[in-house]
Amino acid sequence: MDTQTAEKTTELWPLAVYAGLVAATVLAIVTISYLLGERHRERATGLPYESGIVPTGTARRPLPVNFYLVAALFVIFDVEAVFLLVWAGAFRQAGWAGYVEIVVFAGVMGAGLFYLWRVGALKVIGGRGEHESGDTDEQ
Amino acid sequence: MTGEDVIILLPLVIVAAAAVAAMLAIAVRRSHAATAGIALTGLAAALAEVLVNLWLKKGYVGHLAVMDNQALFVIGLVLAANLVVGILSYGYLSRRRERAEEYYVLLLLAALGGMVLAISIHFATFFLGLEVLSVSLYGLVAYERGRLGVEASLKYLVLGGTASAFVFFGMGLVYFDRGSMIFFWVDWLYGQYGPGPLGLVAMVGCVMMFVGIGFKLAVVPFHLWTADVYQGAPAPVTALVATVSKGAVLALVLRMARGSPWAGYYFGDRAVYYSGGVCPSAPVFWILAAIAVASMFTGNLLALRQRNVKRLLAYSSISHLGYLLVAVLVSGAAGATAAGFYLVTYFAATLAAFGVVTALSGANGEAESLEDYRGLAWRRPALAALMTVAMLSLAGIPLTAGFVGKFYLLTAGAGAGLWALVIILVANSGIGLFYYLRVVWAMFERRATEEKELPRIGVATGVVLAGLGAAVVLIGVWPGPLAELVRAWMGGGW
Repeated sequence: MDTQTAEKTTELWPLAVYAGLVAATVLAIVTISYLLGERHRERATGLPYESGIVPTGTARRPLPVNFYLVAALFVIFDVEAVFLLVWAGAFRQAGWAGYVEIVVFAGVMGAGLFYLWRVGALKVIGGRGEHESGDTDEQ
Repeated sequence: MTGEDVIILLPLVIVAAAAVAAMLAIAVRRSHAATAGIALTGLAAALAEVLVNLWLKKGYVGHLAVMDNQALFVIGLVLAANLVVGILSYGYLSRRRERAEEYYVLLLLAALGGMVLAISIHFATFFLGLEVLSVSLYGLVAYERGRLGVEASLKYLVLGGTASAFVFFGMGLVYFDRGSMIFFWVDWLYGQYGPGPLGLVAMVGCVMMFVGIGFKLAVVPFHLWTADVYQGAPAPVTALVATVSKGAVLALVLRMARGSPWAGYYFGDRAVYYSGGVCPSAPVFWILAAIAVASMFTGNLLALRQRNVKRLLAYSSISHLGYLLVAVLVSGAAGATAAGFYLVTYFAATLAAFGVVTALSGANGEAESLEDYRGLAWRRPALAALMTVAMLSLAGIPLTAGFVGKFYLLTAGAGAGLWALVIILVANSGIGLFYYLRVVWAMFERRATEEKELPRIGVATGVVLAGLGAAVVLIGVWPGPLAELVRAWMGGGW
């Protein structure tokens, strides 16, 4: 018991050293670039570089919220793919029980996709689907 | 997962299937009544299945979950509360313009999260249940999409995410020290004498886990979201946050504090010994005791000057969770029984109070100001009577359920020799009396001002509210049968 605890406490110092190294590295990078970096202020210094073309307009435009829905959708089904691939790797070992489980899992995901399609979440442009027609947000 | 596991987990399977069915029904055709019907049928079926399971099938599901008497009891409580909230919500949402169907999917998922917490004996199921419960509540809190609702949901989301991160990190640290994610000692890791005192790392992990748990329970100092979320959420959702969310997490704390409730069961071919729980150490005890005391005082003192009934109930719930932590500190069968009984009384009274708030909330705003309740006894005597019963029960007046619940807490605390906590609990009941009685007082005042139109109450809502009132009074005057039930189910074992 005692040796075990002693072992655990001694194991902590590499972590402290590591944290110190990380801080030192970050500090060094910032300091060196501050010392060596150029400091000049021309007309186009602050402009974003877009392959030599003068930028037009602002990058901060309102995006349709549906974009975020699609992003969320992507995450959901991306994670589904992760599980499917893991199961595929253990296809034979998992057997019929594993098959039933993955079918249930994919079925629930499919039901979710069906729902999202019907409420119009898949329409990136043009707002809401026919199902969502007419109310709530405008009030 | 074998077929046997599916049978053990049948209540959860039913609720999950109902959630998917409700979602598909929405996709096919939008209908408030149909979706609500699917959700309520699912909850009722699962509740019936719990009763069947009580005699039919209990046991372990892998390393992850256990369906024992305590789990079935808490699941029954969660499902019953969800059913009540669902019925109340139907009348409430019918009076609103918002589209109502998705609400029921989220309601079912919240129930599912609470049930997973109730059966959890492993960090994985713990975290899964916590997240399923929390994420559905974020959606429910913002369901009205008003300014207050979205603000409340965002606060809940940001703080809840932080709390989850703490839980996760804490689990990692405890695992690092103990080498196991199960809530109780395992002999092939520690030998039959257990792991001895916790190392510093595990201690830090335990405290970090309790940051997240304390957030869900809304105990001081993790209570800052409570009043705003209670106020911003739709009234039935507030009832859900106050009961299901807190009750399920408290059941999990009880399990973690006790570990396996029975000695010497076999895990595979290895014996597992009765344990003092995940975090059995003196500093953790003192931290929990300090949190309990701080919650009792802070909740009651902040509620004193509240003129908003929902905020008042929020602060009241902080102090009630402080009371419940006393039972957690008692630990063992006595503590679990007291906590189980108190949970039932707290659920009944809180649901009744929020039921009245829901029933009085019409299409234009909720009845949340104390002014809305002035003179209610002369306009809606039945609702005022129910609210009075709920308030008296929360205050712990004799002949209501709350009194018997407090009595059990005091007995358990005294039995374990936690005298300081017991005295503080009694003192706080005195402080609490003031603001509960102020609501009652307001309802019985005559007022001369012009009267707002009160919404009509549907049959189902009326029946549910009457049932809740009857339950509070019945438990208060005749607690014997429920006490027996709780002792049998929360006392541990199969």
